[in-house]
Amino acid sequence: MATQAEIVEALLAFIALPQASEAEFEAMALKLFAWQFRNNEPYKRFCLQRGRTPLSVRGWRDIPAVPITAFKDLTLSCTPPETAERVFMTSGTTQGIRGRSHHPTLAVWDRSMLRAFRERFMQGRERIRMGILFPDEAKLPNSSLAHYLSLARRECGAPGSAVFIGPAGLDLDRLLTALAEAQAGGEPYALLGASYAFVPLIDALAASGRRFSLPEGSRILDTGGFKGQSRELEPDAFYDGLSAALSVPRSACINMYGMTELSSQLYDDGNAVCPSVKSGPHWIRSRVVDPLSGADLPEGQRGVIVHHDLAHFNCVSAILTEDAGEIVPGGFRLLGRVDGEASKGCSVAVAEFLAAARG
Amino acid sequence: MIEQAGHLPGLPREALRWREVGYDAWGGSVAIALPELDAAQAAQLCAHVRDQARARLKRMPVARIVAAIDAAAARLLDRDHPLRRKAEELLPVVTGYDRETVRLGLTGYLKTFRRPQLLRFLAEDFANPALLDGFQPTPKGGYLSARGPDLLLHVWAGNVPALSLWSLICGLLVKAGSVGKLASAEPLTAGWFASLIAEIDPEIGECLAIVWWKGGEAAAEAAFLREADTVMAYGGNETLTALREKLPVTTRFLPHGHRIGFGVIAREALDSRKAPALARLTAHDVVRYEQQGCYSPQMLFVERGGRVGPAEFALYLAQELAALGHRHPRRALSPGEAASVAAWRGAQEMRALEGGASLLGEPGDGWNILHVEAPETLAPTGLNRSLKLVSVDSLDDVPALVAPHRHFLQTAGVAAAPERLFRLAEALGAAGVSRIAPLGRMSAPEAGWHHDGRFSLLDLVTLTEIEQAAEAAAEGFAPYVD
Repeated sequence: MATQAEIVEALLAFIALPQASEAEFEAMALKLFAWQFRNNEPYKRFCLQRGRTPLSVRGWRDIPAVPITAFKDLTLSCTPPETAERVFMTSGTTQGIRGRSHHPTLAVWDRSMLRAFRERFMQGRERIRMGILFPDEAKLPNSSLAHYLSLARRECGAPGSAVFIGPAGLDLDRLLTALAEAQAGGEPYALLGASYAFVPLIDALAASGRRFSLPEGSRILDTGGFKGQSRELEPDAFYDGLSAALSVPRSACINMYGMTELSSQLYDDGNAVCPSVKSGPHWIRSRVVDPLSGADLPEGQRGVIVHHDLAHFNCVSAILTEDAGEIVPGGFRLLGRVDGEASKGCSVAVAEFLAAARG
Repeated sequence: MIEQAGHLPGLPREALRWREVGYDAWGGSVAIALPELDAAQAAQLCAHVRDQARARLKRMPVARIVAAIDAAAARLLDRDHPLRRKAEELLPVVTGYDRETVRLGLTGYLKTFRRPQLLRFLAEDFANPALLDGFQPTPKGGYLSARGPDLLLHVWAGNVPALSLWSLICGLLVKAGSVGKLASAEPLTAGWFASLIAEIDPEIGECLAIVWWKGGEAAAEAAFLREADTVMAYGGNETLTALREKLPVTTRFLPHGHRIGFGVIAREALDSRKAPALARLTAHDVVRYEQQGCYSPQMLFVERGGRVGPAEFALYLAQELAALGHRHPRRALSPGEAASVAAWRGAQEMRALEGGASLLGEPGDGWNILHVEAPETLAPTGLNRSLKLVSVDSLDDVPALVAPHRHFLQTAGVAAAPERLFRLAEALGAAGVSRIAPLGRMSAPEAGWHHDGRFSLLDLVTLTEIEQAAEAAAEGFAPYVD
């Protein structure tokens, strides 16, 4: 009967491994599943409803994946939620209700983030000067992205790193000054933030006919999409815009794919080609499944993405997302949100019904 | 092989551009060529149809039109007829519905358009159908005649086979020249029907055109919308709103938006002998066209107090859906449709975890039923054989549960004793329901049905009146006046 401390210790050790084989991942996944089944009452009921128990599940792919919407409806926590060190919440943009993930300790979350961030974004560099285009963690304590970026700045940021989002939004003047200094200074510079926060920068530079030549080795990290916060840009237009504005090649524009309902993040290796191939560290594995049967789909076939994130130990590790994708060599490609289709007939579908209800 | 869709009198086929669209299902595939007209061709076609309708159709007795429609329906009902055989072969591939559903659906639907039923359409809307042929005396004095529009534009939508025939035939009955825009999801039947009409009565065939354009995109669209006197349109509210905004204010617009159907089952219908049969009938309404019809049930309100309770009825229904699933497999769903079902099912699974609800059916079953213990208001499911069954203490509670969504209401399938039926119908009508049908027949409206509570023929016509005073005044100018 594992304790939380033992689970945490085992996970930290697993994350510290240089990599993990399928068998090693499976062993850890099954161990974690048994622990979650025992300690997470709603998840246990969900599994029983699916006829899956630690005794009957043989492989990690058979562990029931919880629909991401469940984090809005249920408290999925193996430890009493009131004892959580941190609660991350979704923005509630789509339907207003906020999903939440309870973390009794951030040790695993932080280790997961730093290990992958250093490997995929820092790529051997110890520290880099950073500009952050997202509010600071102190302002948004329930935002996993704010925590992610604050952690990145604290652990990997060089002196002079700064946040350029204030109470009034993007502090464009300070940002432009910082970019000019970076250009003059000759040292690589990193700009990280929500995708939508880059759009006013691109627009402002385009409007004034200005551009920066950031030093070689500079890189950009965007995440999260536009969420109605800025005008929408197609990926190619977005990365072309960034590349033109800052002279950072598209191959050094990294997109991070993460969510409140995970404790780990997935990355691409730049966006020279969109949609890019995304992959994660050895403690998170992704499947593409048929949304109806839950069966794995072969490589190249479009389905719904399931992430199995061992680091998300306190909640549920297997998450059925609302993202469409396909498995490709080296990872998966994101193909957009799996929105329910409008009715093909003349029967009212959910989307139309909700639109009418909103008035 | 390529099937050419549409019917375009007066326009040579070689002069047109054709967009080829592929469909595949049940291991078969078909390529359909859809006509894409430019603005000039659209205007030319409208002029042709309008001129022919004025010169021929409007001078024709309605009996001749009835005879032509009857003959066309008869050919499509004849399972040996080449066009019927083609329909049975192609429609399952194009719509995804299984062969048996298409076959039974076609026959059940086309029976609605034989001569006796067409006469019922006419009798339903016109106390004296001869109004369509000329002036007839009216009860208040004076004379009336009814004229259909010179050019009626039908904007069809959806994937239910042959559904377009209802409005096309209504247009013919009121002697309207018609242009019909095919639905991409079922672009065949209207063109076939028009070609049969043309074969049977070439003069009538000149007054019909079946076209296609991509909604909101083509140059031809503006021409069609400008030329039409009346537009009958089907689709979601968003589509209909966009269409209405493009129409001149003088155009008569007859929209039919999406609807949600529901069933109501009284305790007196729930004994151990009647309940299984009722479950079978309900399952038929769910399965026929995969809940894609405006009349299809998405929710069932089941009254407590019968010998068979709501939970037990849910089990009967599950058995019937499973059995029907073997005989009529659900069609392959698009990724979006599959996601809708999965999202709905996932959400209900979460609800079931909290108690007060139970989910029947496995993810791979091809159907889902959620049974909930507490009353809740009407809401859509994931469609494609997803049904929510709501227990209520009394059917008197049901009208209030559907009333908040009056703009989406149309059909209620009711199983209740006569006295309860009438009392319930009164309250449901007040809440916005326009059609009360028996379970098992929700997806098969009667000939002369008042679609969305309106007259299928009267809505199309303009009445011309000779006032009694005018008739009297005319006497003063007769040659025999003293």
